[in-house]
Amino acid sequence: MSAQRATPRHGGGGVQAPAGAARPVPADTALPRAARVLLALVLLAVFGGLALAVLALAQPAPGLAAAVAGRIDDSGVSHPVTAVLLNFRGYDTLLELVVLVLALVGTWSVGRARGCAGNAPGPLLRQLPRLLAPLMVLVAGYLLWAGAHAPGGAFQAGSLLGGVGILLCLSGQPLPGWAQALVLRLAVVLGVAVFAALGAAAALLPGGAPLDWPPAQAKTLILTIELAAMLSIGVVLAALFAGGRP
Amino acid sequence: MLPVLAAPAWMLAVVFVPLAAALLCFLLPRRAVILGLVAAVLTAAVTFALTLEVAAAGTAHTLLGGWAAPLGILWRADGLSAALLAMTALVGVTVSLYAAAYFRDDAHARVFFWPLWLLLWTALNALYLSADLFNLYVTLELLGFAAVSLTALGGGAAALTGAIRYLLVSVLGSLSYLLGVALLYHSCGSVDIGLVAACIPDAPRPASQVAAAAMMAGLILKTALFPFHFWLPPAHGSAPAPVSAVLSALVVKASFYLLLRLWLDVLGGGGRWAAELLGLLGVAAVLWGSVLALRQERLKLLIAYSTVAQIGYLFLALPLAVAGGAAAWTGALYLALAHGLAKAAMFLSAGNLLRFGGHDRIAELDSAVHRLPLTLTAFALAGVSIMGLPPSGGFIGKWLLLKAAFAQGRFGLVVVILLGGVLAAAYVFKVVGHAFTPAARERRLRTVPPGMEWSALLLAAAAIVLGLTLPLISPLLQVGAAPAAMATAFAAWSAA
Repeated sequence: MSAQRATPRHGGGGVQAPAGAARPVPADTALPRAARVLLALVLLAVFGGLALAVLALAQPAPGLAAAVAGRIDDSGVSHPVTAVLLNFRGYDTLLELVVLVLALVGTWSVGRARGCAGNAPGPLLRQLPRLLAPLMVLVAGYLLWAGAHAPGGAFQAGSLLGGVGILLCLSGQPLPGWAQALVLRLAVVLGVAVFAALGAAAALLPGGAPLDWPPAQAKTLILTIELAAMLSIGVVLAALFAGGRP
Repeated sequence: MLPVLAAPAWMLAVVFVPLAAALLCFLLPRRAVILGLVAAVLTAAVTFALTLEVAAAGTAHTLLGGWAAPLGILWRADGLSAALLAMTALVGVTVSLYAAAYFRDDAHARVFFWPLWLLLWTALNALYLSADLFNLYVTLELLGFAAVSLTALGGGAAALTGAIRYLLVSVLGSLSYLLGVALLYHSCGSVDIGLVAACIPDAPRPASQVAAAAMMAGLILKTALFPFHFWLPPAHGSAPAPVSAVLSALVVKASFYLLLRLWLDVLGGGGRWAAELLGLLGVAAVLWGSVLALRQERLKLLIAYSTVAQIGYLFLALPLAVAGGAAAWTGALYLALAHGLAKAAMFLSAGNLLRFGGHDRIAELDSAVHRLPLTLTAFALAGVSIMGLPPSGGFIGKWLLLKAAFAQGRFGLVVVILLGGVLAAAYVFKVVGHAFTPAARERRLRTVPPGMEWSALLLAAAAIVLGLTLPLISPLLQVGAAPAAMATAFAAWSAA
């Protein structure tokens, strides 16, 4: 992985050197030896206690698998994980997508990316993306569609798209001009925006609640949300790899 | 207020308005300030509407996705949630007004402050509404990341170091909480607060106790209770002033709220030995935080250590409350609300002084009282509440705690509560005293926009007025409260 480091905004000359650098750890931050041994023992005791608690857990555990299976016909999809993520506990998924957007806004606020155009790829990296990128996009589309009835869905598909972005960046492809600024930002928020807008609209239906998909339209709505979420997840992951705002 | 809309609609707006505005601010950075201000006013308005609705009609519920627990996630707004939501709204809208002036000359911070701050507000509101242990974890993560990003917004080595340390602590706290949630789900087969609470008495013993301990430990770390306060002063002291205000006034309250929620609604309000231990840490926090505050030479660090001390008071109430002094719960909540308002006012005042003189060294405040009278008034009024002098909100909180401590014969706690107040008076007067003293040499001074002075004063005045509104707020706090712990609190204070 190429070392892309965001530079702090205001010089930042005093930032601590990364681990393994020549500069020694300043004396005031290093704990005395006895304290370190004590800390290790305390942590070991905590770990031991946790291990005992986990080993004492009841088997089999009570769970919600049966409840999910009982209502899956109303969810619009037939795979239990997708049903939980996009229907039963869709609100969790919405907030998790917000976490991704937030991570990107936070990263952009710290510094600029060096940009992908500066990467000088070897012969392998020059050719590989030509073969892999179209295939990965195809697989992402398949995973998204398959998520309704088999393992898959927006997060897996989005990760693949993110991988495409990383591959293109490593091979020195800059972002095309039209994909800068507003279009890039739109792609980042698209997943949350579509999810939240549909979720709020569902509350306006008679007898509806936020994120309450009517069973007849549930499949269409879930696919729409997943499509938007996949694009956003892919773009956010690739942009996080770039390490700063463009 | 619009009576046609029911509580579920207000709940939806309380979370989705700041969320939508945050996305818009990110999309349109050039319009971020005006969008952010409009969103802040709107969010505050819908929050107050929800609070009034809860006060009038009782606890409100929304089934998200239309699914009841255990399959779905529940929003639940009771009196405790509503009070903290309202405090967040008041601080939020004032800090927004302040920030619009504060970041006027800093294009970078201006563009990134608004989406991050509105996402932080979204996370707070979502946290106060959620009645689902796993969903609460997601809101904690959202809150933590937003707070860390805002801390780093000041730029420079100190802010980045403080932010990274804050990030590590925040993630460790969240993961510890998540571990507890996983163990509870394994024991109870649900993450809904009501269902888990019903299952806890019969849950397998070591696992549920370890789960409770892990969740509590994570939240204590996030609330910065002594001795886990080490991360707070560098983070709160190095962030930009409006961010410090939000971190000290709101973010630590969120994890304290969650701790209280677990204690009261999930674990049944018991746990004598745990309460004694946390109370002891609270005592240590009051004394240690106050003494360190007194020794600081920089104003923002002084205020940050004062937060460490005031958090101690919140935990000091636990043994009193568990032993049956129901008024102690109300006292702790009152202190949390009053500290939120007063501490935000203090950090905003500090921001004004920092802007005015270009530094926040207490010894060189240089007759600031003649040049920034409103700011110093705000600082002093906020100080009155922090010290616990009548008629402030801080006074009511401490008075309820003192009453409970006397009733239970806990004279050691009485001494600590009073001593903390005396120490607070010492560090507040240290600042005010230097503000009256002319410094040896003249320095270049900058003007402070009137909006920044007035918003600090508004929050400080609110902290004082809070003390006069006990008859309004105490019944609100009882709405939907867990019967075992809090039902008698209202009777207890009104019988006084």
